[in-house]
Amino acid sequence: MDKKIVYNTLMIRFDQVTKKFKDDSPALEDINLEIKEGEFVSIVGASGAGKSTLLKLIYAEEKPTIGTVFFKDKPLDSIKRRKMPFHRRNIGTVFQDFKLLPKKTVFENVAYALEACGAPKAEIMEDVPQILDIVGLGEKMHKFPRELSGGEQQRVALARALIHKPLVIVADEPTGNLDPVSSVELVELLLKINNLGTTVLLASHDKDIVNKAAKRMVILEKGKIIGDEAIGEYKIS
Amino acid sequence: MFLVIGRTFKEALSNFFRNGWLSLAAVTVLILSLYILSLMFVVTKTANGILTDVENKVNVSVYFKSDATPERMEALQNQLEKNADVASVDFVSREKALENFKRNNANEPIIIKSLEEIGDNPLLASLIVKANNQTKYDSIVSAISGSDYKDDISRVNYGKNKEIIDRLNKIITEIKKFGLGLVVLFSVISILIVFNTIRITIYTHKNEIEVMRLVGASNTFIRLPFVFEGILYGIIATLISTVFVFVTIFLVNSKISTILTSQNLLSVFYHNVLFIIGVQLAVGIILGVVSSMIAIRKYLKI
Repeated sequence: MDKKIVYNTLMIRFDQVTKKFKDDSPALEDINLEIKEGEFVSIVGASGAGKSTLLKLIYAEEKPTIGTVFFKDKPLDSIKRRKMPFHRRNIGTVFQDFKLLPKKTVFENVAYALEACGAPKAEIMEDVPQILDIVGLGEKMHKFPRELSGGEQQRVALARALIHKPLVIVADEPTGNLDPVSSVELVELLLKINNLGTTVLLASHDKDIVNKAAKRMVILEKGKIIGDEAIGEYKIS
Repeated sequence: MFLVIGRTFKEALSNFFRNGWLSLAAVTVLILSLYILSLMFVVTKTANGILTDVENKVNVSVYFKSDATPERMEALQNQLEKNADVASVDFVSREKALENFKRNNANEPIIIKSLEEIGDNPLLASLIVKANNQTKYDSIVSAISGSDYKDDISRVNYGKNKEIIDRLNKIITEIKKFGLGLVVLFSVISILIVFNTIRITIYTHKNEIEVMRLVGASNTFIRLPFVFEGILYGIIATLISTVFVFVTIFLVNSKISTILTSQNLLSVFYHNVLFIIGVQLAVGIILGVVSSMIAIRKYLKI
């Protein structure tokens, strides 16, 4: 598949989105945000500012209380329940706690994402080792997650997120459980992936990490966007 | 579709073995439930057989006076045979009655001796009447005592039997009710236990289910491994519980075969073995699958 990098095509759009949980004050309030194809966007803010909720609205784990989220000009609430898995295949997710399956090997963890989409076996046998080489884990593909370091586990998760060539990578505090060296390595990997044309959303409260990325920065505070800079620098932490 | 089934089945197999302890728990509970149900079935079936045997032994004996002519006796027999409620009528002549009496008391020399002293045959000819149904005896007896032949009849020994028959009828219905109640009770208990066990196994998979959804697995793809796991539980539990039932019956049978001569637990088991296995498979699989389907719904929201 030939992926042209066109920076003017809209990938994700939040249109006056508010998300409330129960009776609490809104987790997100009146969010208007546009993310173009091929962008690298850091979403920063203290914990509880609404970063995770914002990302969850994108991969449709949560639904907005008010407003609409568009993915490639398609409103997400128009996607039928049954079709939702197909939407999720456009988005690769990486989390603080890795969310690897402990009973599966590295290879199986990554292969699983392809199997779930009905990819033929030949493709799995070819693609999985390839992507594990890219994240530097080709040697360890038959180990179980518990035998790997945190940084390595997160790279397995990233490999899994990338395996079906998603349009967008969503990383929610991916460095939260990593040491500083592994954290920098991970951000460098994300930048590399972005250079190859994938849109990347990185949520973090770690200023070293987002400043290292030195990309567009959306700053959240108490559920509202209080800053959106083309090349941001996150000062408070 | 074939690809999906193959993959999810493989997934189920690996889940089954990699979560050994939980699988063991689920299968054990299923085995116990199926074991109890099957044993109940065999025991109830045998009890029914015993009851049928006893029922068959119930009859009405019509004794003729010693001066009744053979023609009259045969006429009554023919008339009774035409009665729709009557299953069979057997004629026992005086000679035959004496023969039977001697045979039954062969071990009692005093009785035999006293019989010889009488010289003459003291026994009466009789008709042994069996009804199609326990409840018909009353009407048969009244038909006999109301017939033209009532003067030829010495006595109808139904009054004595009547009590036994009535009590037997009561016992039969009570046992059937009790057995059915037990089966229903155990079914409910096992359904609840199995359902809960499978719910727990699925609960331990909730992280996996979350990941599956995140990588874009369809609901079918997520659900099928659990359904297959349920089927697997059912099949394994059926095999093991059938072996247990066989061993139990084999051991018990050798102990009670001296008491119960007419019925044999083992032969009841052999005659119904396919039915037992079939029902166990059906119950096991349905229980496994339905529990899985219900338990997993919770984690497939949105």
